[in-house]
Amino acid sequence: MNIQAENLEVVLVVEDDVLIRMAIAQYLRDCGYRVIEAVSADEALTVLQHSETKLDIVFSDIEMPGSMDGFGLSKWIRDHRPGLDVILAGTVPRAVNAASELCDKSPLPKPYESKAVHDHIRRLLAARKTVRRDSG
Amino acid sequence: MDSYGRVAISQVWEYGRPTILVVEDEILVRMVIADRLREANYKVIESSNGDQAIAVLRSDTKVHAVISDVRMPGSLDGIGLAKVVKSELPEVKIVLVSGHLRPLDHLVELDGFFAKPYDVDRVIRHVQALLQEEA
Repeated sequence: MNIQAENLEVVLVVEDDVLIRMAIAQYLRDCGYRVIEAVSADEALTVLQHSETKLDIVFSDIEMPGSMDGFGLSKWIRDHRPGLDVILAGTVPRAVNAASELCDKSPLPKPYESKAVHDHIRRLLAARKTVRRDSG
Repeated sequence: MDSYGRVAISQVWEYGRPTILVVEDEILVRMVIADRLREANYKVIESSNGDQAIAVLRSDTKVHAVISDVRMPGSLDGIGLAKVVKSELPEVKIVLVSGHLRPLDHLVELDGFFAKPYDVDRVIRHVQALLQEEA
């Protein structure tokens, strides 16, 4: 990792739906954050317990498969990593809004409007639905 | 060479950065290869299993290559994923990595295989060569 990458703020994005996670993660990367992706609270805990991994913000979905949901993860972080900011976003519009607010605080200007992110996620989810209908 | 003694593998692409889908259920392993690919100027999508990977491949997201573990939870392991990629998306390159199996050419058509523990940069250079062949 180079020095420039070490100076970036690190966001851990926790979201079980890959199509939502990839759009949010890419948006935050384009805004100038370093992003780590986790698919569940259990995966997020693996990263959080890995103390040498630098983290500044945890950005999490609420409903997720596994032993813990977003509320449980948030409580674990409060108890074990109290300095860490947690953003809970339960729906796609809330996740996009929260990501957009993070972008406002980032050192880089917003790369594109958050509406484009929302539209992109909707298109991805619709494409997946179409394939399921065609194949099933 | 950077301060860690690694050979620089970053590349400038003429037609935008290629997208690599990394499929690996161990997040710490996935983070290492995803980070290194991003440093090498690729766009990276991370999936923790074959089912998630298929959701990405069947969406309208253009993926140029897939690097996948063989053993993963869910209904589709790396071999199953490779079969889907080769039948539905033959233009997408697929490279498998595994700690348990030897080369799998007799089971499935692949664009590369690396046994774990693998050298991340070797895997990335292999993918680079595959994508350059294509260009």
